[in-house]
Amino acid sequence: MDKISRRGVLLGSIAIPMLSMGRMALAQGGEVTISHYFTGELGLKAFNEQVAKFTAATGIAMKDSPVGHEDFKTDILVRAAGNSLPDVFSYWAGARVQFIADSNSLHPIDAMWAANGLDAVIAKPVADSATLYNGKRYLVPFNYHYAGMFYNTKVLADAGMTAAPANWDEFLALCETLKGKGIAPIALGSKNRWPAQFWFDYLLLRTAGPDYRAKLMLGEAKYSDPEVAAALAMWKDLFDKGYFVENANADDWTDSADKVARGEAAMTLMGTWITGYWNGNGLVPSTDYDFFEFPRIKDGVPHAAVGPVDGLVISANAANVDGAEKFLAFMISDTGVQAAWANAQGALSANVNVDPASYNAVMQKAAATVAAADAFAFNYDLATPPPVAEVGLSMFTRFIDDPSKAAEVLAQVATDAEAAFKG
Amino acid sequence: MEQHNRFWRIALLAAPLGVFGLFVVWPLLSSFYYSVTDWNGFNPDYSFVGIDNFTKIITDRLFFQAAINTSIWMAAAIVLPTTLGLFLALLLDSRVLGARVFKSIFYLPICLSAVIVGQIWTWIYQPDWGLLNTIITQISGERFRYPWLAKPDTALWSVIIAWSWQQTGLSMVIYLAGLTAIPGDLLEVCEIEGATPFQRFHRVVLPLLAPSTVVVVALSVINSLKGFDILYIMTGGGPFNSSDTLAMHMYNESFKKYLMGYGAAISVVLFLIAMAIIGLYFRQLKKVDRIYG
Repeated sequence: MDKISRRGVLLGSIAIPMLSMGRMALAQGGEVTISHYFTGELGLKAFNEQVAKFTAATGIAMKDSPVGHEDFKTDILVRAAGNSLPDVFSYWAGARVQFIADSNSLHPIDAMWAANGLDAVIAKPVADSATLYNGKRYLVPFNYHYAGMFYNTKVLADAGMTAAPANWDEFLALCETLKGKGIAPIALGSKNRWPAQFWFDYLLLRTAGPDYRAKLMLGEAKYSDPEVAAALAMWKDLFDKGYFVENANADDWTDSADKVARGEAAMTLMGTWITGYWNGNGLVPSTDYDFFEFPRIKDGVPHAAVGPVDGLVISANAANVDGAEKFLAFMISDTGVQAAWANAQGALSANVNVDPASYNAVMQKAAATVAAADAFAFNYDLATPPPVAEVGLSMFTRFIDDPSKAAEVLAQVATDAEAAFKG
Repeated sequence: MEQHNRFWRIALLAAPLGVFGLFVVWPLLSSFYYSVTDWNGFNPDYSFVGIDNFTKIITDRLFFQAAINTSIWMAAAIVLPTTLGLFLALLLDSRVLGARVFKSIFYLPICLSAVIVGQIWTWIYQPDWGLLNTIITQISGERFRYPWLAKPDTALWSVIIAWSWQQTGLSMVIYLAGLTAIPGDLLEVCEIEGATPFQRFHRVVLPLLAPSTVVVVALSVINSLKGFDILYIMTGGGPFNSSDTLAMHMYNESFKKYLMGYGAAISVVLFLIAMAIIGLYFRQLKKVDRIYG
């Protein structure tokens, strides 16, 4: 066997990194790297199909690294900390994008926006609330969701519901009827905390209004205010009356969706992605499930819709900015991509040119509901800064564990949130 | 020739030292560095805040809850696998029928990753259809749906039981090896002299198993300090931080609240605690070495 020479070792140690660096440079020249959280029940297959359409149209290859929805929140931070963000990544519009825009980690897309005429593609309310941060555009909305009261049609028909509850009293009466029939009126799976936030969001929005809620999210109002206590008291009332399933903190959102689908519970307050999950399990929109709006509670309060906007952003250090901008423009502008993606994921398209007839009946209703709403608000963990959102999300599960401690929970969260806002 | 050998010695040593430096020493020093900054993980511009992050720890109620949980976790993670492992080793060493099969069965969990163990036990604890509640329902005759992992009083202990289930096999094997080293003659003499089984165990077997105990305890301490994955899978530190350990708290502050500087400060405190425990262990090891050579 030949002897390994000292020179050979040294040459090898130089050549191998050089070769791999050369390969990286070659790869970075043409392809666009992307990381996203559209995995599993959130539509990995459909996402890959849309990406393939982009590659076919432009010849630009995409190097994909999907990460599970919950793990993505950590993964993207680890990649940012290691200065290895992909060219493009999916992110939730609102406080989270604000946070990384404040950290100068995003590439502004104003020029691309103007060049592609996106003002005519994206609805102005969505564009204004989801894409502008510190006066610049950083995000292209890929789709958005609406949180409503999704229910099992058969169960509610059996309970005698002929029309959606128009107000809080009618909603309580419906819950009472369901409870009387031995069915848990409301399923909630708050094991991962975030599914509980929609209850806090809607109760606060329907009683104190969107302006007050916006102040609370920005730290200009306090968790010790009577408005917050009133919203929590109404939530507590539902628990006291036994309208929620037992052990909500032990279930995740798919468990609660399954309970409604099986008819063990009647309804669940969830985002429209539940339709993608149910459709995937063979349920038929309108026949097996439907939704109604969170009921009105107080007269004179603007009627808000709640939901997240899934967006695509470009990192400040993107290796292939040109390819990344082309990708963002294509994904929002191509109505075929938008319609296919929205239907596969159970989402609403952010592109105003997508024909609403391409949605199923339930999603058409969701689109009409959002269009008719007085305001569109991001859900809690996307509306308030991440350190505060952590405090609030823990508050919800603590409250759900023992609603009788609502006052104690609020006192604690008031202190913790104030500290979190101060940093 | 000597120069040639010297080159190879340095070249071969450089690789592991390089890996150690890159993946252990460098992150360690980085943690010390970031612990005195307000870095949020995204922003390359950050400020030095002196000891602010460390003074913040003093007023952080979640840190103290995590510190208490870590103490419970470590104490239980040492006591339970050690005692259960010793009990099983004594049982299987007394030539019971099928001892070899039982040894393999009891050792099997240690071959599984903590993620798989966590998932198995999450299913066992599932309130609606989990094995544990189903058994209790069968025995009591009444529907039992206690959410073991979703209640603050039981979440941490439920994970500790899962952890002990996995780790006991390792302790058992080490004790079994220790038991084979105890001379049979000695135990026979004890019997002839009229020692009761308890006296034989307490006065002869247990002291002679001291070297095994040191190894078992050391491994339990090291493994319990690393015990992040099973907690992450089973409770994620919840419900509402009730099963947070210091490692979990550090993770939450760093990666969920984006307070990397503060998280680094917690990691420094955790490092100092680990160093103190390892220091105590080495002191104890020296004592055992002096006694047993």
